[in-house]
Amino acid sequence: MILDQLFDAGAMPTLGRMMQFAARRQELIANNIANLSTPGFIQKDVSVTDFQHTLGKAVARRRERSGSGPLELESTREVRFAPNGSLQLTPRTNRAGILFHDRNNRDLERLMQDMVENMTVFRVAGDLLRSQMSTLSAAISENV
Amino acid sequence: MYGSLDISVSGMIAQRTRLDTVAANLANSDAILDADGNPNPFRRKIAILEAGNPSARSSTGRELGVHVAGIAEDQGEFIKKWEPDSPYARPEGDPDAGYVYYPNVSSMMENVDAVDAIRAYEANVMAAESAKAMVAQALRLIA
Repeated sequence: MILDQLFDAGAMPTLGRMMQFAARRQELIANNIANLSTPGFIQKDVSVTDFQHTLGKAVARRRERSGSGPLELESTREVRFAPNGSLQLTPRTNRAGILFHDRNNRDLERLMQDMVENMTVFRVAGDLLRSQMSTLSAAISENV
Repeated sequence: MYGSLDISVSGMIAQRTRLDTVAANLANSDAILDADGNPNPFRRKIAILEAGNPSARSSTGRELGVHVAGIAEDQGEFIKKWEPDSPYARPEGDPDAGYVYYPNVSSMMENVDAVDAIRAYEANVMAAESAKAMVAQALRLIA
């Protein structure tokens, strides 16, 4: 498919994976915030550094191969990309931090920081992806 | 992506319910009679939160999120006030004869609960705002 080749060119697959990951992690962060006052709730999250590490390795492999084509990420215990491209997260419970009397280890400041960082990643990846898309559409419109 | 909105909304609903129980507790903090007019003081109501939200529309929303599992009653002791001339004073022969039972509501506790619920509500609003911004960002990709 010519479209696949177009969308697998350059940094596009990497940026797409970043957005996918940030979108799914936002759900986990929202869940932690929603359960701020649920007794016995332990915060759940996935490791961002682990994901970045796997992404880095996949980018390096792709670069060695040809520099283009689809990005093949290894599955880790927490992050698994299904063959159809969908992302499954298996969050681990984070037992760090102060355990309150209601057996909840809430940490609102960290949560807010995580949320802002996650959103920034999503925004940066989105902006970069959009500029790649506009390059594509410029190329298309000038050829027609 | 809409899953995160579902989750944040479930948090907002749960915190608002908590604030509703606080309002009910404060409003009834002097109610010594029940709805039928019998001397049966109001018991402090507590919203019980539980992780997961079975009523959400999306599957992620059902798995994650929060919901109010029920409203429980505080079984703590009533506040006793020495009012021997009140028609609702405990009768002679009762160990608390001459006392009137008042609801076990403490306005200080309720105020702390209210502030906690409001702040948690605001945190959920922030999370919903960022989910909205992310959806808008993703939509701009194709527009």
